[in-house]
Amino acid sequence: MRKLLWINVLIMPLALGAQNSTYWPDPNWKAPENAAAQTNPLASRPDLAAGGRKLFLRNCAECHAKDGTGKTKKHSANLLIPAVQLQSDGTLFWKITNGNTGKGMPAFSKLPEPERWQIVMYLRELKTLEAGR
Amino acid sequence: MRLRFLGLLLLAALSCRAQESPYFVTYDHHLEEPGNLDIEASATTDAPRAGQKFFGAPWMEFEYGVTANWTTEVYLEGQSTYGDSTVFTGWRWENRYRPLKRLHLVNPVLYLEYENINEASRILKEVEGDAPDISSPNAILRLEPDHELEAKLILSSDWHSWNFAENFIVAKNFSQSEGFEFGYSLGAFRPLGTIASGKDCRVCRENFSAGVEFYGGLGSTQGFVLSDTAHYAAPVFAWLVTENSTLRFSPGFGLTHESAPVLFRVGYSYEIQDFKGKIARLFGAKH
Repeated sequence: MRKLLWINVLIMPLALGAQNSTYWPDPNWKAPENAAAQTNPLASRPDLAAGGRKLFLRNCAECHAKDGTGKTKKHSANLLIPAVQLQSDGTLFWKITNGNTGKGMPAFSKLPEPERWQIVMYLRELKTLEAGR
Repeated sequence: MRLRFLGLLLLAALSCRAQESPYFVTYDHHLEEPGNLDIEASATTDAPRAGQKFFGAPWMEFEYGVTANWTTEVYLEGQSTYGDSTVFTGWRWENRYRPLKRLHLVNPVLYLEYENINEASRILKEVEGDAPDISSPNAILRLEPDHELEAKLILSSDWHSWNFAENFIVAKNFSQSEGFEFGYSLGAFRPLGTIASGKDCRVCRENFSAGVEFYGGLGSTQGFVLSDTAHYAAPVFAWLVTENSTLRFSPGFGLTHESAPVLFRVGYSYEIQDFKGKIARLFGAKH
């Protein structure tokens, strides 16, 4: 765990060009181990990431920006940085589901489970899209 | 000032979203997202029994997400009875607070509402105590104030793609000596499609949800009984018409003689994302 933190510290300056360069992950926002170990049941259907994009734009882009780089005024996460992308699918799913209400991130359990997994798929695509720019 | 108001309307139209549950009476644990304003126009109407008059009761809701676990809401309501009159029946202010940070199998939400209405109110946003008086003329009913404090314990669960919610109501009318009144509401719903297509479609299953709710009164501390109370079973439907608006519909079927035979409810909601930020920018804030 401490190793991951150091990786974050070292890599963080690389993300300074992103929209919300001030974002720092909440160290207390951790998924339980069993949730983090969950795998994406839709992983064999990469075509569903297109639906994830639609859901992302509908539900997430207001705070995280359309390109996922976050917004300073919203104190929202830059979803492209390794501190986010290194998290497991299960962790991202758990964070979308539960939110972090004390820090302003709402819970999105109102979305059906498969749709939340579709958002996770699209979050992975965001990284690829960024690399292609 | 007029230009600023027009600017606000334009901003509101540019970036909005809404995905409401189909419930009209039951509350679940999903709160408004922080900074968002949801505006809803709804109406309740009925198919009256012999000797009763047809009525329509419209209301407006303004729902605002103060924080990720606190939502506040203001209602303005009226009522029109065929062959009688149209009256403003008052306002309500409600607050919902979700105390737990993480989601659990059952998620509690605390609800507190102040009502400054009169006995002519017919929106039937909840049913509690004995059945309401729908036979007396508005001229008499509107003179009977109803200053009420209402609390609810909302318990709600998401299981796979289903939502199950149970509401327990206790209300105290400070205008009359009728003790504490009790009521309940139970609901379940599910989206018709659980996987989002990549296309921007409006009439596809993922934009529809359907379910059922049951609600009714449980009497009061002066008589905790089910007789003389109204109970309804109501299928509920919602359609995400656009990215920013939802249409809801529910026919409610009366289960006891004290209930109206059928209640029809329809509602159209429109969500303005980041309302707080838009207002701030309109009045000169830098971001």
